[in-house]
Amino acid sequence: MVLDVTANGPDGKKIFQTSRIYSAQATDSRSTQTALGPDKKLGLIRDTSIQPFAPKEETIEIPLPEGMKDAVIEVSLRYQPRPGNIYPIHKVVRNVSLDRTK
Amino acid sequence: MKLLQRKDKQGRWAVSLLAVLFLLTPGTFVYGETPTQASTLAELIAMYDSSSCKECHEQIYEQWEKSHHARPLMGMDDWIFMASYLKRGPLAIKTGQKATKANFPCFKCHLPQIKHATDGVAAEIADAILKDDKPTVRKLNISCLVCHNEKAVVHGRPEKNVVYGNKDLPDHQGFPVKKSPLLKDSLMCGQCHGLGPNLEFETPVQCGTLYGSYLHAYIPSGGTQTCQECHMKNADHYMPPDFNKRDELSARLRESLPMEVQTLAYTFQPVEDKVFPMVVVKTKITSKAGHRIPDG
Repeated sequence: MVLDVTANGPDGKKIFQTSRIYSAQATDSRSTQTALGPDKKLGLIRDTSIQPFAPKEETIEIPLPEGMKDAVIEVSLRYQPRPGNIYPIHKVVRNVSLDRTK
Repeated sequence: MKLLQRKDKQGRWAVSLLAVLFLLTPGTFVYGETPTQASTLAELIAMYDSSSCKECHEQIYEQWEKSHHARPLMGMDDWIFMASYLKRGPLAIKTGQKATKANFPCFKCHLPQIKHATDGVAAEIADAILKDDKPTVRKLNISCLVCHNEKAVVHGRPEKNVVYGNKDLPDHQGFPVKKSPLLKDSLMCGQCHGLGPNLEFETPVQCGTLYGSYLHAYIPSGGTQTCQECHMKNADHYMPPDFNKRDELSARLRESLPMEVQTLAYTFQPVEDKVFPMVVVKTKITSKAGHRIPDG
């Protein structure tokens, strides 16, 4: 499960991008490197997955370049069991501005 | 001489008749208290063939046919997921050797009936997988008999020639139905849908940990629903999610994981001579599921 947050300027150029991966993570219990595949995984060392009865909250601060007053924020959540295999879940787009008259 | 020939002919007739009966009456003698070991792949497939259930339970059978339980060795988009494990990694078949059941710890859940088969059957399955023989591999499934006999009882072994259900039906066509309360309990699903590492194998593996999450995160938080209440509503044997139906899975995840987004654009002035124009994005994802997401 991947949360992507991006910000684009009024010209469409990307000014910020960050991601959060929500997943249980396992090693082979012989090293500190996480393993991929059930034939290698053996024991969780970290779990950032989305838990029942426990909302997953993020606060992301996006600095705006000097002089920029407007931006387009895009937040998306996707399930990606393998690279390139994407199941879109949510996509929220917001236009934000420092200009109170807008 | 003529007597011997007649006896031989009668013997062949008897063998043929037994073979026909075996094919027409799947599972009659092989699963249950003291299971016979299947010595060929064809035998194992016949032992757990549940196609005769369709005659009376057509709707349920068709729901099941669309489910991942009908194709537990096929991954997403119809590829045989075990192929890569048999070619490389700790479960790979060593050069010059045939596969044995030790190469298939995944079958604990993906083909639990393998415990009633010989290593020769495992070798046949490995050959089919490595040849990408999908028609054969598709015949290996979590059939009606796997859940309604083999996995339907945990206190002792299931009885021979019995199918288990939610009520006693002694006159049920085929085999009598005996009530097993386990079928409505989350433990039924938990037998395969994961507690954590499977350490009983020579090569230990870890696949889904979903039932562990249900037990140790959902239940302690006050959750009360069973797996069946969410994944088998109205006894639907389709048992979503279906990872091949991409839009359907996206919609299911959208419903299970509502997301709120708040945005604030402002200029922060922490000290007299400095200002930081910025946007603050707050996200909140709530889960309605009875287990961690993702898991399996």
